Amino acid sequence: MLAFTWTQFWQQVVSGLSDGSIYATLALALVLIHRATGVVNFAQGNMGMFSTFIAWWLIYQETGPGLTFWLGFALVTLMSFVGGAVIYGVVIRPLQRGGELAIVIGTIALLILFQGLAGWIWNPEPKAFKSPFPNSQLHIGDVVISWLWVGTILVSLGCVAVVFLFFRLTRTGLMMRAAALRANTSRLMGIRVTLMLALGWGLAAALSAVAGMMAAPSLGTLDPFFMLSVLVYAFAAAVLGGIDSPIGAVVGAYILGVGISLLSTYVNYITVDSQLNLPVALAILLVILLFRPSGLFGRAVVRRV
Amino acid sequence: MRRLIPTVGLRAIPVGAAVAFLATYPLYHSNVETLKFTLVGIYLIAILGLNILTGYSGQISLGHGAFIGIGAYTTAILVDKTSLSDVATIPLAGLVAGAIGFLFGFPALRLHGVYLALATFGAAVAFIQLVQSVHYQSFTGGATGLFYGLPKNPYYLTWGIAAALYAAAWLLVHSKLGRALTAVRDAPIAAVSSGVNLALAKTLAFGIASAYAGVAGSLLAIRLGSVNPYSFPVALSILLLTGAALGGLGTLNGVVFGALFIQFAPDFAIDHVSKTAPEVAYGLILLAVLFLMPGGAGELLHRLGGLLKKAAKPLYSRTADRAEAVVTSTRSDT
Amino acid sequence: MKKGLLALIAVGAALVLGLPAAFGGSSADPGVTARSITLGGTFPLTGAAASYAPIPRGMAAYFSYRNATKVNGKRGANGRQIIWKFYDDVYNPTNTVTQTQRLVEQDHVFALVGGLGTEPQEAVVDYANSKKVPQIYVSTGATEWGSKHKEHPWTIGWQPDYQAEAAIYGRYIRDHIPAAKLAVLYQNDSYGQDYNAGLVGALGKAADEKIVSTRTFNVTDPSVTTQLVALRASGADTLVIFATPSKTIQTYATIARLGWKPAHIILNSVSATQTFMGIAVNLAGAATVNGSISVYYTKDPANPSWDNDAGMKLYKSIMARFLPDADAKNGLYLYGMAKAYSTIKAIEGAGKNLTRASLMKSVDHMTDTTNPFLLPKVVVKTNAPKDNFPISQQALIQFKDGQWNPISGLIDTRPKG
Repeated sequence: MLAFTWTQFWQQVVSGLSDGSIYATLALALVLIHRATGVVNFAQGNMGMFSTFIAWWLIYQETGPGLTFWLGFALVTLMSFVGGAVIYGVVIRPLQRGGELAIVIGTIALLILFQGLAGWIWNPEPKAFKSPFPNSQLHIGDVVISWLWVGTILVSLGCVAVVFLFFRLTRTGLMMRAAALRANTSRLMGIRVTLMLALGWGLAAALSAVAGMMAAPSLGTLDPFFMLSVLVYAFAAAVLGGIDSPIGAVVGAYILGVGISLLSTYVNYITVDSQLNLPVALAILLVILLFRPSGLFGRAVVRRV
Repeated sequence: MRRLIPTVGLRAIPVGAAVAFLATYPLYHSNVETLKFTLVGIYLIAILGLNILTGYSGQISLGHGAFIGIGAYTTAILVDKTSLSDVATIPLAGLVAGAIGFLFGFPALRLHGVYLALATFGAAVAFIQLVQSVHYQSFTGGATGLFYGLPKNPYYLTWGIAAALYAAAWLLVHSKLGRALTAVRDAPIAAVSSGVNLALAKTLAFGIASAYAGVAGSLLAIRLGSVNPYSFPVALSILLLTGAALGGLGTLNGVVFGALFIQFAPDFAIDHVSKTAPEVAYGLILLAVLFLMPGGAGELLHRLGGLLKKAAKPLYSRTADRAEAVVTSTRSDT
Repeated sequence: MKKGLLALIAVGAALVLGLPAAFGGSSADPGVTARSITLGGTFPLTGAAASYAPIPRGMAAYFSYRNATKVNGKRGANGRQIIWKFYDDVYNPTNTVTQTQRLVEQDHVFALVGGLGTEPQEAVVDYANSKKVPQIYVSTGATEWGSKHKEHPWTIGWQPDYQAEAAIYGRYIRDHIPAAKLAVLYQNDSYGQDYNAGLVGALGKAADEKIVSTRTFNVTDPSVTTQLVALRASGADTLVIFATPSKTIQTYATIARLGWKPAHIILNSVSATQTFMGIAVNLAGAATVNGSISVYYTKDPANPSWDNDAGMKLYKSIMARFLPDADAKNGLYLYGMAKAYSTIKAIEGAGKNLTRASLMKSVDHMTDTTNPFLLPKVVVKTNAPKDNFPISQQALIQFKDGQWNPISGLIDTRPKG
């Protein structure tokens, strides 16, 4: 165990923030789906994984079209938006008559399907997906900050800002919120609920594409499984923040990242055995939820009982 | 109670056929074929428990695999370190898992929907990492696990227990507690005002579901002769939830289908649909089944049963129908 | 008449001695006829470990090649066509047990070959041994496959074991960089623990003083940044990575982002293929990756320095013929072929009278220098009960200018003596 220094402390905070930025955007996507459909979309991570494979093909594969990063990024985000809306229409909406659990199982089927498809089309061997941001560093005192971390963090904050402003300032955003919250009333008021929910799925799919393209360079390799672990943390982050709060999801992700980083640095029992960092983090999360059963930023739903 | 009598009459035929099929199956099938049905029985027990929890009390669980793991490790540790016979450890495994599940039910009381889902999911993740941890290695065998015997095929034992637990589940959901659970799920206010102890009902559901999982885990440990953290991945919990959903929640009729599906569908996908893209095949099969019966096999059977009853209406008394109508009306009160 | 009596006595003696092999001619064991031999194994073909699926497919390609081609005047394995069955176990021991029983009891395989993964294979060791079914050349480098011959004589590994490999690094550090201060990052499972134990063991008493910091991670952790920040702060100048490929590449990328340039980086052979290093260079830059040290024992199809090698040409022609759509640069196909080659060698070594017992005898007493897919001069050698590690030679390599170059001759990881 090293002696405590503030440099080390802040360095771990920074590294926790960089970890948090990997989960933040996906957590945001989970929140959008939960608002629109009332379920956790287990396929969210793998939808992002599949989008990232398409981006890899467009940008990096030798036999692909060889687009520049940001052009490929924009194109894939757009394609994912359309893809997400289509998935809602073709798979999710028909399952709604079977209730929430049928939809949840439907997303599990999608998770497996996308995993299989990616491996089948591009083979499951790992691939290099390079970040558009450089590895070079910025020094604040003795604390090292990679520009890549800064870039990833800014993208995640940009995403939440766009989502927040979209829901607050645009008419479509307002209609989407209404459709998600009170479907029947909205329908009576002439809002095309199905279209709004499809837009919600499209937006979430676009966000998970961004999450995938930002996470792949941080996770080392692009393969059909790389988003599974990200999904676990994003799920925890979204719940911690309050599953219906976009800002909560992103803040939750950063709290989770920094929290795990500091826990595994300063709690000796965990340092020796990293196996315990997730159980301990989840236990703490559970305790927080006991005091705030709707997460940190969630509106407390008044329950009848 | 009056309603039960004609229903039993109608059910006697499929139940009798199932019992006859299962009792004679090993006589004309190889050990390996029989083994697969042993696993179906084990999954059936686990899904019965999950159905009591998710289907009847409305609490979703993504951590059922952890309680199977607790049951399996209980049996493994007892067989490995004491002189107990493996069969003797089955009730103990059920008790240990049930007790832990009951305790887990208390914090879960405050959580709903997706928050509860995360808490149970956390249990699944934590279980694997706890048994793997170097801190408890001398007890659990750590990453290597425990080895205490050869693989067995406890076919009749499994199906005997499965039949008994099926009957127990049936009695349970038709008992006062079962009705209390259903009431808690569908109309909590009405339930509480008519004297149901909500907290007790919900935690009991957690305990019972976990005990079922524990028994399933114990049988799995007996079948394998060894336990290892890799045998209880998070995917197992998700698989069981899939099985429960495909069987149909809130009814016990379709549970067998869920168990059959999770045992046979992956092999079917890789052996008969696509060797090169088995996951694509499995994903599509799962979606297709969901589309055909979004409410699970139970609901499908219910509808078929309804058709049969209509055809055979003159055979039944009118009171039975009236009782049925009362039951359905409380159900749809969501 | 006399001859008949002698034969009778011989048969009687054989029965008494319990050597059914002495029957000569036809074999009583399942899975083998005069014209065919059935082999089987379990592998993860779906799920998160499916990246290992090329191994059984590489084996299949090599078996098909031998079934179709006369080598030393005979097709297949000593004239018998090889039937190769492999099933998916999703890297879950529950499935491994069932699928293995399916292979043994339903498909009546003669032997289990190449089954993948320490934990899954451990779950069927007792089963295979109680049934006296050979469980050979398992695809894992856990030390126990060679060190527990007495407990399970029907089971054996193939590749160099993790502890012995780590010991090479320990000796390299002792001899070449004695002043090194080591930071060790290892995967917290039996694989990483085995490697770490090997390194600590080889450093001996000096371990406490040389290793200044150790951190572990879980395969399921999305990031290893926290661990690397801590290791960097320890003041170490040498980073030792015992991880699976993705995590190794992530480690390279992360130290590049931290601006940490350890003087030496040592990584285990599983991650040290040309393909993985290429990805690491892509993400972390050549400056970070150059100079890394590891070991190897097979030829690497992605390394251009083997392009003119006869064995490599054979490998590529088999890939082109039997797996035209696969990525031939993936070393796992070659690993599978090398293993299939050893399997056929072992079957040939069992002679005309092929039984499970005679196969094990051949596997346990083998000396083969002809495997075209292993490094030149690597001997696949066993001598039960003393030596049960088929491959125990590796060469140190250093990564420079985009490819691995040997920096030592073959080193025996388990010096006999």
